[in-house]
Amino acid sequence: MKANIVMKYVSVISVVSAIGMFAYVVHASKATSYLSGDPKVCINCHTMNSLYATWQHSSHRKAATCVDCHLPRESLVDKILAKSRDGFNHSYAMTFRTYEGRNIRASEDARQRIQANCISCHREIVSEITAMNELYRTGGSGGVERVCWTCHRDVPHGRVRGLTATPDNIGIKEI
Amino acid sequence: MKKSTVVTAISVAAIVPMALLAISINENKAEQQALNTVPPIKKFESRSSEWGKHYQRQYDSYMQTGKSDKIDDMLESNPALVVLWAGYGFSKDYNAPRGHFYMLEDNINTLRTGGPTDAGAGPMPTACWTCKSTDVPRLIDKIGEEDFYTGKWARHGGEIANPVGCGDCHDNETMKLTITRAFLSRGLDEEGSLKTADATHQDMRSLVCAQCHAEYYFKKTEWTDKNGRQQNAMVVTFPWANGLSVEAMEKYYDDIDFADWTHQISKTPMLKAQHPGYEMFKTGAHGLNDVACADCHMPYVREGSVKYSSHNVSNPLDHMANTCLNCHSEDEKTLKDTIARKLERKNELNRTAMDVIARAHLEAGKAWELGATEEEMKDILLDLRHAQWRWDFSIASHGSFFHAPEETLRILGSAINKGQDARVKLRAVLAKYDAGDYAAPDFSTKEKAQEVIGLPFQKLVDEKMAFQNALRQEWLREQQKKGLYDPATREGMVFKTSYTAE
Repeated sequence: MKANIVMKYVSVISVVSAIGMFAYVVHASKATSYLSGDPKVCINCHTMNSLYATWQHSSHRKAATCVDCHLPRESLVDKILAKSRDGFNHSYAMTFRTYEGRNIRASEDARQRIQANCISCHREIVSEITAMNELYRTGGSGGVERVCWTCHRDVPHGRVRGLTATPDNIGIKEI
Repeated sequence: MKKSTVVTAISVAAIVPMALLAISINENKAEQQALNTVPPIKKFESRSSEWGKHYQRQYDSYMQTGKSDKIDDMLESNPALVVLWAGYGFSKDYNAPRGHFYMLEDNINTLRTGGPTDAGAGPMPTACWTCKSTDVPRLIDKIGEEDFYTGKWARHGGEIANPVGCGDCHDNETMKLTITRAFLSRGLDEEGSLKTADATHQDMRSLVCAQCHAEYYFKKTEWTDKNGRQQNAMVVTFPWANGLSVEAMEKYYDDIDFADWTHQISKTPMLKAQHPGYEMFKTGAHGLNDVACADCHMPYVREGSVKYSSHNVSNPLDHMANTCLNCHSEDEKTLKDTIARKLERKNELNRTAMDVIARAHLEAGKAWELGATEEEMKDILLDLRHAQWRWDFSIASHGSFFHAPEETLRILGSAINKGQDARVKLRAVLAKYDAGDYAAPDFSTKEKAQEVIGLPFQKLVDEKMAFQNALRQEWLREQQKKGLYDPATREGMVFKTSYTAE
């Protein structure tokens, strides 16, 4: 009977501890900040520092935030799903350090999203180009395997953006 | 199993990975903190090699300015300068600038700073150190601005150990560009078109240079030291209150009746234009388009995968791919030819101006000799003062022919005009004293010109060498004792001057 009471207390304490730990992890990881679209959320971890800085110095800073280009814009459901998937992948990479020794590259899924978003904003000016692209099929179903940044290589992050290539990029400077 | 045991087991099973996750998050945060922190460099650290430990590329490129080591004796190539500056230090020794690496060394070696034998000996005031060393902001912070500017040049010899470097332009805590010479801030605020507080980052990329590459004078300032004694400071001051143009500054100096020195031959109260690089630049095409000094003189360069701003401040034409060609679509040769033509135009008018004004000084000297009166000479001397001020202003800054070709030629034109005005008036005076056909003596070489003005050249050299072997050695020992001396600033440096054989 006595052991039962002790066990009950232990279980209550452990549940409270688990809740406390959960709250702490949410706080420490700034989990709630990820609900926002603020570009600064993307540099909660230092890995994106240089990508933030290059965007911040580009003409796109006045027109588009990180999520405007990197997440789907057409449907809210797609956006939330993509954000969750990316979020999980990024957290996994940070926690288990699988990103180390590798360059940051957009995944195939991300490439398609970015390309769609380029067209979405610049629809008028690229309408001819996208129409032409459809005509020049190289076989299969798609058009020519080119994306906007095949030519516009500096947009918007510049060509020098690796963490090791920008050793003096310390912190955010408000501009 | 009991319910409470199950709950406990599940809770613990949840806590353990969450705890590991929390540890991982905190590790990442600490790493980010470390990466985002400016390395610890102490305030007013004057040894650039200490900054260089953390900013190796910038430091290495800064040290490359040591490769610009050629002594180019300007008095040799333009002997008229000796006559123009008769009675003033520049007639003793004047070389084209070398790299930043040599800045302090050349200030110490030039005959202009003389051969002092002790801390109180002349000829120059402490202000001559102002733009030469990272130790200046440190010393001003330590003893105060007025005290710094009081006394003779030799007084601070044991404190001024390092050439202009990192600490002159960068804040040690943020690495942001910063103004370390208060006279620039005061000048900007008085002039008013760009208040110091409104300066953007792009403005700062020129203003840190403007701290030194600008026109200034030494303003006599009385102050009382902590012992209650009256002291006289010679404070570096920008004459910008009426504006940045040559006429605005001329008026400024005329209004306060200022003269840098009295011309030895013509007795003119003279102005020495220093190097109004910033002021001239602002009138040219690049300045008007908000190009900054650093855009061309400290271009971004690639080293492997890393891109950074080169601190090898030098001639942009030496690496045009990183400078001019970022904006201009012409090929290198076309641009270089265009620039060479600009230089020729300036040289043509510059030679004429120097010749006209030097002759005017000598002719005025003759007029005095023959007994001309102050009344007769008054207008002539004012013409001469303005002529030489304008000539000097137009060419004294580096590359004015390029930075501001139109303004340079305009000012040179007005200098020649004023100089010829003086000569026309002088002819009348000379004719009155029966010397209407007087021809100025030959000043076609540096030696002849120094003889014309009676300069004791060898004596100056001997005094300088005596100083190098005596007081200079004391300074070095004092600097070492204070921990200011940095061997890196002298590494590979060879003693080179215009007055000693190679």
